[in-house]
Amino acid sequence: MCVTMLYKAAGLTLILALHVAAQPAEEGRILYNKSCTACHGLDGEAGDRAPALAGERRFRLTADNDIFDAIRNGINGTLMPPTSLKETEIRFVVAYIRSLRATALDTPVKGDVEAGRAIFFGKAECSKCHMIAGKGGLLAPDLSNAASERKLAVIRDALTKSRPFPLRGYKPVRITTARGLIAKGVVKNENNFSVQLLDTGGRLRLFDLSEVASIDPEPELAMPRDYQKRLTSTEFQNLLAFLSRQSERQPGNGR
Amino acid sequence: MKTLPGILAALSFSALAQVTTEDLLKGSPENWLSYNGSYASHRHTKLAQVSTRNIGRLVPKWTYQVEGAEQLQTVPVVADGVMYITQPNEVHAIDGRSGRPIWRYHHTPALRKGPNRGVAIYRNKVYFGTPDAHLVALDARTGNKLWQSKLAEAEDGYWCPVAPLIVNGKVIIGIAPGDHGLNGWLDAYDAESGKRLWRWHSIPKPGEPGSETWAGESWKTAGGNTWLTGSYDPELNLLYWGIGNPAPDFNGDMREGDNLYTESMVALDADTGKLKWYFQFTPHDVHDWDAVEIPVLVDAPYEGKPRKLLIQANRNGFYYVLDRVTGKFLHGTPFIKGLNWASGLTPAGRPIRVPGVEPTLQGNKVCPPTAGATNWMSPAYNPNTNLFYVVALEGCGVNTKSVDTFRPGGFAFTGTGYIESPREPWQIYVRALDLTTGKLRWEYKQVGSRRYGAGVLSTEGGLLFAGDDQGMFTALDAVTGKSLWHYNTGRRISASPMAYSFEGTQYVSIAAGGTIMAFGLLEAER
Repeated sequence: MCVTMLYKAAGLTLILALHVAAQPAEEGRILYNKSCTACHGLDGEAGDRAPALAGERRFRLTADNDIFDAIRNGINGTLMPPTSLKETEIRFVVAYIRSLRATALDTPVKGDVEAGRAIFFGKAECSKCHMIAGKGGLLAPDLSNAASERKLAVIRDALTKSRPFPLRGYKPVRITTARGLIAKGVVKNENNFSVQLLDTGGRLRLFDLSEVASIDPEPELAMPRDYQKRLTSTEFQNLLAFLSRQSERQPGNGR
Repeated sequence: MKTLPGILAALSFSALAQVTTEDLLKGSPENWLSYNGSYASHRHTKLAQVSTRNIGRLVPKWTYQVEGAEQLQTVPVVADGVMYITQPNEVHAIDGRSGRPIWRYHHTPALRKGPNRGVAIYRNKVYFGTPDAHLVALDARTGNKLWQSKLAEAEDGYWCPVAPLIVNGKVIIGIAPGDHGLNGWLDAYDAESGKRLWRWHSIPKPGEPGSETWAGESWKTAGGNTWLTGSYDPELNLLYWGIGNPAPDFNGDMREGDNLYTESMVALDADTGKLKWYFQFTPHDVHDWDAVEIPVLVDAPYEGKPRKLLIQANRNGFYYVLDRVTGKFLHGTPFIKGLNWASGLTPAGRPIRVPGVEPTLQGNKVCPPTAGATNWMSPAYNPNTNLFYVVALEGCGVNTKSVDTFRPGGFAFTGTGYIESPREPWQIYVRALDLTTGKLRWEYKQVGSRRYGAGVLSTEGGLLFAGDDQGMFTALDAVTGKSLWHYNTGRRISASPMAYSFEGTQYVSIAAGGTIMAFGLLEAER
């Protein structure tokens, strides 16, 4: 990463180049888990008395200087106290919190990217529904830019955790028309009067709801969420490594 | 629609089969598969559900607001009920029956150069040009980007407003702008892979035929862009494309000569991009009268013999009839009344210049103005009335000349500090011209309209749809020009209308301001 972060603290100006950030972030993770987890959760999750640091946007202090100041001075009117960490250590913690918030592309991920590609297009059958750089299926989101749009945790969760509701534009359904015809696919859009369906044959189908008898969930088209079981741990890690490199920009080049 | 309604209804649930070369050749009234609706660019729909008889019952069916859009110039493309529209950097797919969005593609980097005039569709892909001068192929069903090919260096100042044209599995696309002294071309790309197959340069290099029409080094910064979609004759396998102005636009001193192939109609072999013939409308143009206006291809008797004609109502104010096999000039006549820069055309079609109208330091009055007697807005041809319909501007401008120096990087290179401040108001008309003589048969004055931009659509139902800068969308009687129906869209119209049909209902659609609107009969007659 060529992002440089400039800190001015206690009259001391330090430039921290983030291309060596993996190390400070790891240092920061250890410091964080030791010093901050009385209130915040382990590994940046929500804790008993304080929010997740990589959680909902409304909790975020966005600038590194703000995070630094909050750690050093505490936050007035909250339970957040000033820290006893040294300034260098605070910077490590800032680097760690920053890494929690980075998209997958800017997060170091272990694994063999090329082996992961083979898993994506092969054993895991991701490309049956997902497309990358023009290759693959249509029923699920194009992942060509996935690593720039999603955090690593979001990608990992997509492979392992079920969602409470389907992603907008990808709800799998079975539509039965008033004439008894059945169409299966994902709902691209819908309202009280019409439904736009991309069917499993790859055709866009436009329904007026006056022509439709029923719309039911179609679980067989839903995304599997058990890739940690379907794949060996090495395969899973390689797939994660592959997905976390899918981007239309280069790492660290901003948006 | 009128026969076998049950069978059609049963079939009609499955939308968007692949668009094939055969579909593009034959055309089907239900679909509008290219910018001009067909290779011959008649912009005449065979749909007749909406007609002079029932036009009073035409109502808005839906409205689609394009987020962030200013003055859309997109012409919707529709395949089996799915509509594709563009604004700079974006393609939207819309349910053509309900107006509901299906997907949207947003191109990055999102430069703010516009307009964008629309997509082309072939097999399961839609194609469009971008402000950063790329040709992008998207999956027609999801908007997933499949590939992109660089047309030109955007940093040089190039960009692409052109709706591409599909011919035999090739994507044909032009480029803009000539006003920056950037030379133009026409390109063909493989529709499947995005690989460039040929490029025809509109400005000949030294030693090539036509290079003698450029003084000194002037050919290097010469313009000649290709920013509007052309036409195609499958029998002759010829592409017809209008070429834009020379640069600097208003100062011809440093580019003595006719300046080929600017201000010309060119016929190119669609397989190779080789020039078959050209016809130059305005040799050595100094008024920025791009000759890009849509070439309309008509097979009709001319002087007693059947002939393959090419018609163009040119921005310079003349209506031209050419033989499109040979490029031979057959006939030309002004289609505006106030034309002052030429007293007529020679038997070969070359303008007879009137002295004293060329730009000077103080400026000279010229009619039509630089905006032209017509421009990007589409004309139409109705084979039933044998009339050619065009939006015409009556008015003049004052053009000045200055010394200009080319600067790379997309700076204007126009040779003027020109002003267009006519004392008398401009006035827009819809005019119906006899196809072969160009004689005025009727005109419809768009009262209150000064800026043009809205094109026309002819229909088998005997209608001519037109729009204006007051936001009025009107249906005229194709035979008499009488206004039969109007609707206030509420915003200036700068695009051309089109028609399609889905599930037995005919729609007429147009972009008004930043909105796409679709109209149909209150209750469709089946």
